[in-house]
Amino acid sequence: MQWQTIYKKEMLDHWRHFKWIWVPIVFILFAVMDPLTAYFMPIILESAGNVPEGATIDIPTPSVGEAMIMSFNQLNMLGVLIAVVISMGLISRELSTGVYELILSKPVRYSHYMTAKFTAMMTLLSVSIILALITGWYYVTVLFGDLAFTQLLTSAIFYIFYFMLILSIVMVFNSFLTSPGLVAFLSIFTVVVLNAFTSIFDHVITWSPMLISDYIGTYIFSGEIETDLYFSTGIAIIISLLLLWLSIILLKRQEMH
Amino acid sequence: MAIMSANYLTKTFQGHTVVDDLSFKLEPGKCVALLGPNGAGKTTTLRMLAGFIKPSQGNIQFNEEQFAKDIRHYVGYLPQYPVFHNWMTGEEFLIYVGKLAYLSKNEAKTKAHELLDLVRLSDDKQKRIGKYSGGMKQRLGIAQALMHDPQLIILDEPVSSLDPIGRREVLNLIRELKKDATILFSTHILNDAEEVSDDILLLNHGKLLKQGAIQEIHSQQETKTIYLAFQDEPKFIEERLKEFNSVFNIKRENTGFAITVHDVNEARAQLLEVIQSEGWNLTKFEVLSASLEDIFIKAVTE
Repeated sequence: MQWQTIYKKEMLDHWRHFKWIWVPIVFILFAVMDPLTAYFMPIILESAGNVPEGATIDIPTPSVGEAMIMSFNQLNMLGVLIAVVISMGLISRELSTGVYELILSKPVRYSHYMTAKFTAMMTLLSVSIILALITGWYYVTVLFGDLAFTQLLTSAIFYIFYFMLILSIVMVFNSFLTSPGLVAFLSIFTVVVLNAFTSIFDHVITWSPMLISDYIGTYIFSGEIETDLYFSTGIAIIISLLLLWLSIILLKRQEMH
Repeated sequence: MAIMSANYLTKTFQGHTVVDDLSFKLEPGKCVALLGPNGAGKTTTLRMLAGFIKPSQGNIQFNEEQFAKDIRHYVGYLPQYPVFHNWMTGEEFLIYVGKLAYLSKNEAKTKAHELLDLVRLSDDKQKRIGKYSGGMKQRLGIAQALMHDPQLIILDEPVSSLDPIGRREVLNLIRELKKDATILFSTHILNDAEEVSDDILLLNHGKLLKQGAIQEIHSQQETKTIYLAFQDEPKFIEERLKEFNSVFNIKRENTGFAITVHDVNEARAQLLEVIQSEGWNLTKFEVLSASLEDIFIKAVTE
């Protein structure tokens, strides 16, 4: 009841601030941008006209799988960036402006406050990711060839858990910092460090959640879900829940004066 | 029976003691002013009582219960600078806050409308809070504190940041609430305390200096002031008056003399007698009780 109240209010907040409109649109743009450019690049170059006479342009057309992976890669970079930016102030802004004083002076459970905000943002991100990938899939299948829709949908669901991990990292920094900018910076810094760490030791830590999109790539090519994908997604879920739990504790211990 | 008792409250922030061994009780139906200069620890005290921050030592009891639940159930709190979700309307915000305090949707709605009437915001309930004036926000802040029918209403500097009109509105509102609620509010404006509160708590450097009913504190004062004014100023008046042992101090003011005395009755008799015998043309004779301001300054500077 109390949890639903906060969840609904968060959804209304996202709606009134037009996040339900621009976030899906931006995600969709990210997802279709690369496959479209890859397809039209030869045509664009040809019609540009300043190619020397007789020169042949031979850009290999990407395969269906490669094109679909382009969508994921864009979301991996820019999508994560947007996700961090729209959630950087979820709690930290309330802490710095003082809204939290009115909310938390009511008998609100800190866990409700934290998880309802988290879930509302996750709803927005999941819907945006799925819409973006479906649109990307539509263009890819029209332009490059066939790819099973269920395969795309399965990939998208695995991919959502990667964003869950990102968001839980943002929530930890939200729970004790009052500057949204700093929250965003530290969250992105953490993701970069984890990525670097994973790519250095990727033979040892094959279960790193940072490899989820790589494993989704192999799944799209082969059509077989590797155990590593299950494994890294499971780890992502466990770490997310631990981080959420940590952020609830940090928020409770937060004492402003 | 006290509805709330604070027992030996102490709060230390990074080795710095902000509130120091504070004990007091609040009686039901009283309006209590927490007075003190800036930095006296008023806000920290109120935040502890509102269940926001935990005391480093001591405890807070409601209704003399031994194992109290979350004290936020008992308290309605208005912070010094209330900040709302500006994108919500006044009505939406009240309903939201009511539901957070476990009211059902219908209960929250009914209560919200009732309170919007009380704080005279019914006409603006559909407006976004971002468009409210300072006074309107403060009144909405009071309304949100009342949403879950708390036993104790805590208001942190409810009028300090308002213009005279807003101040008047909020003071009237407090006077109205006083009829059936227990209120604890902090202020450094002594007039406000004198105007609406029954009791005062005087705080400085985190310590409780004085507490009690306003009249009681007034009557405890050792010195009183008699104010004299004359048509034309008598010669040697200061020298003449200083002879009396009841006169403690004479201060020349714009239109007359403020005379601090120990014993009003004795001083009155002596003063009137000398005025009579000297034939000074008196235009004003007034016995002033020491203002809360005098008491405040005296207690704080001691």
